[in-house]
Amino acid sequence: MLMINTLAGLLILTSLAVIAAKTAKKSSALYAVQSLVLVALFVFLAQELNAHELYMWSVSAFVTKVLLVPAILIFAVRKLDESTVPASMNAAWLIPIATAIVVVCYMATNAVQLPLAEHLKPALSVSLSHFLLGLTCIVTQRNMMKQVFGYCLMENGSHLTLALLANKAPELVEIGIATDAIFAVMIMAVLVNKIYRTLHTLDAKQLTELRG
Amino acid sequence: MEWINALLAVPFIVGVAFFFLTHMKTASFSTALHVTGLGLMLICSLNVVAAVLENGRIETWNHWIYVDSLSAVFVGLIGIVGTLAGVYSIGYMNTELKEGHIDYRSYVYYHAFLHLFFGSMLVAVTTNNVILMWVAIELTTLTSAFLVGIYGHRTSLEAAWKYIIICSVGVAFGLYGTILTFSNANAVLHDSSQAIFWSVINGQAANLNPHLMYLAFAFIVVGFGTKCGLFPMHTWLPDAHSEAPSPASAVLSAVLLNCAMLIVLRYFILTAKAVGFDYPQALLLVFGLLSTGVSSFFIIMQHDIKRKLAYHSIENMGLISFAFGLGGPIGMFAGLLHTITHSLAKALLFCASGNILLKYRSRDIYYVSGMWKVMPWTAVLFAGGALALGGVPPFGMFVSEFAIVVAGITAGKTWWVIFCLIFLTIALSGLTIMLLKTVLGKPTEGVEAGEGSRLSVAVIALYLLLLFAIGIYIADPLSQLLQNSVGIILGQDNVSFGDMLLLPWQTLQ
Repeated sequence: MLMINTLAGLLILTSLAVIAAKTAKKSSALYAVQSLVLVALFVFLAQELNAHELYMWSVSAFVTKVLLVPAILIFAVRKLDESTVPASMNAAWLIPIATAIVVVCYMATNAVQLPLAEHLKPALSVSLSHFLLGLTCIVTQRNMMKQVFGYCLMENGSHLTLALLANKAPELVEIGIATDAIFAVMIMAVLVNKIYRTLHTLDAKQLTELRG
Repeated sequence: MEWINALLAVPFIVGVAFFFLTHMKTASFSTALHVTGLGLMLICSLNVVAAVLENGRIETWNHWIYVDSLSAVFVGLIGIVGTLAGVYSIGYMNTELKEGHIDYRSYVYYHAFLHLFFGSMLVAVTTNNVILMWVAIELTTLTSAFLVGIYGHRTSLEAAWKYIIICSVGVAFGLYGTILTFSNANAVLHDSSQAIFWSVINGQAANLNPHLMYLAFAFIVVGFGTKCGLFPMHTWLPDAHSEAPSPASAVLSAVLLNCAMLIVLRYFILTAKAVGFDYPQALLLVFGLLSTGVSSFFIIMQHDIKRKLAYHSIENMGLISFAFGLGGPIGMFAGLLHTITHSLAKALLFCASGNILLKYRSRDIYYVSGMWKVMPWTAVLFAGGALALGGVPPFGMFVSEFAIVVAGITAGKTWWVIFCLIFLTIALSGLTIMLLKTVLGKPTEGVEAGEGSRLSVAVIALYLLLLFAIGIYIADPLSQLLQNSVGIILGQDNVSFGDMLLLPWQTLQ
C-alpha cells in the first residue's frame, strides 16, 4: 500500500522534472525514468487489486513507454537546435501550480463516489493530477517538442486512471490505446521536424499566421 | 454479415497498399487503387445499410461490432458523401501534382492516409466497445493530421500542429468520460468482459450511478465536442478545414464531425437513461446555441471562402447539437436529418471551392470575381449549394431546419428558437455576401475562362441533386432508418411524432 502511494508521488516528481528539463533529450531520458515508475506501479497494483491483466499491461508499458517512445523522441530531436526557442515560464512557478493541481484533484476524487477501494483514491487523484500537469506543460511551454512531452505526460496519467478503474478491460483495448499513443508521438515528431525545416524554429508562438 | 467485415477491412488494406507505391513513376497506379478502394467502400457500406434495414441490426466479432439504425445512418454518410469526395479528389489531386504544388511522395501518402482516415471513421461508428470507440476517434485525428499539413506551407503546418495538439488533448478528456462509464458499468454488471460493450451498458443504463454519469457526460461533451467543433473548443477547426486540400476539407467537415457527434449521442443515450433527459439536453442545448451564435459572427467577418465554410461547419454542428438539446422525437429526428443535409451541402461547397481554388489560385472573396463568366457550371452549382446551406427551399437543409423550429416550438422553447433563427439569418447574409462577390461581378483580370474538369462538376451536381431530392421527399428507407434511430435514442420501440407538422410537405408514417 505504502509502495503504491510512494510510487504515485514519485510519478508527480518525475513529471515535474520532465517539464523543467532544459533540453528535449534530457526530457526523453526523464520520461523513460517516469515510465519505469509507472511500470512498477502497475506491478504493485496487480498484486493489490488481484488483477492479473495488469502484469501484461506492465510488460507492454515497459516495451512501449520505457523503450520505444523515448527512443523515438531522442531520434526525433537529433537534428533540432533548441537554443533558438526563447525561455518559457520560469520553472519555479511549476511548484505552486503543481501543488494547486494535486490539492484540487485530491479534493475532487474524494468528493466523488467511485467504484474503487478507498485506500486507492490517493493514487487516482495522482493520476488525474498527472493528466493536468501534462496539460499545463502543453499550455505553458513554447518549445513544440516540450508540448509533445506534455501529451506524453497526459497519456501516462490517463493510463494510470485506466489501470485503476478499468483494469479488467480486455487486453486488446490496452494495446489499442498504447498503439494510438505511439503513432501520436511519431506523427507529432515528424510534424515538429517538418515545421523546423520550413520555419527554422521550434517556438510555438511563431505559429500565428492563422487568425480569426 | 460478410459485408461488414469487408467494409472494415478494405480501407485499411487499400491504405497500407499505397505505401508500397511510393517508388512508382506514374500516378496511374495510385488512381486505379484509389478508385478500387472507393468503389468497394461504397458497395460494402450500402450493403451494410441494406442489411440493417432488413434485420434491424448487425452484431458480429463477438459483439465488438454493432451496427444499429443509428450507426447505419453514419455508415451511409461515410459511404456516399465520402466516396463522392474521393471521386472529386482524383481530378483535384492530379492537377495539384501536375502543377507541382505537391510532390509525388506526398501525393501517394495523401491517398494512403485518406483511406486509413475512412477506415478509422468506419471503426468509430460501428464498434460496440466503448474504449475502442475512443481509440478510433483518436486515430481519425492521427490519420487526418497529415492531410491537413500536406502542402508543407507555413500556414498548413501551423494548422496541422494546432489540429493534432488541440484534438489529442480534447479527446483525452473523452477518455476520462469513457473510463468512468466503463468502471460504473463494471460495478453494476460484475462482468468486465460485458461491461465494455455499449449495447450491454445500454441495457443496464438505468442502474448506473447517476453521480458518475453526470461527470462522465460532461467529460464526453468537452472531449468529443472538441472533435465536433463545438464552441469554445472549436479553435482548430477553421485552420484545419481551410488549409487541407479541398476534397480532404470536404471529408473533414462533412463526415468526420458527424462521427464525433455520434459518439456524443451514444453517451447521451446512456446518460439520459441514468439521470433523465434534462441534464444531457441542457448541456447540448447550451453548447449548441453558443456555437451557432459565435460562429455566425465569424462567418460575416471572414473573407477567405474556405474559412467561411469552416465556420459554417461550427454553426451547423451547433445547430445539430441544439436540435438534440431540444429533445423529444421531433428534435432527435430534426438533428439526425440535419446531420445528413449539412453533410451533403458542406461536401458540395468544399468541392466547389476546390474548383475555384484551382482556377483563381486564391480563396479571397475580394479577388475571386465573375465566376458566372469564368466557370458557369461551377458558379451555378456553388450558388445553389450556398443557398442550400443557408436553408433556402427547396433544398434539404430547409426541411431539417424547419423540423428544428417545430421541435423548439413543441418543446416550449420558442425564445431559444428565435435566437437561433436570428443567428441563422446572420449566417445566411454572410453566405449571400460571398455569392454576390464571387459569382457575380466582373471576371478577375488575368484569369482565363474555362470550366473545371467534367468529373468534378458531375460530383458537385450529384451532391446538389441529392440535397434537392431530400428537400422534396425523404425516401422511405431513409425515413425508416431515421425513425428507428429516434427510437434508439429515446429508448422507445414505437416513436410517435404527434400531430405537429414535422416536415413542410411530407407526413411521416
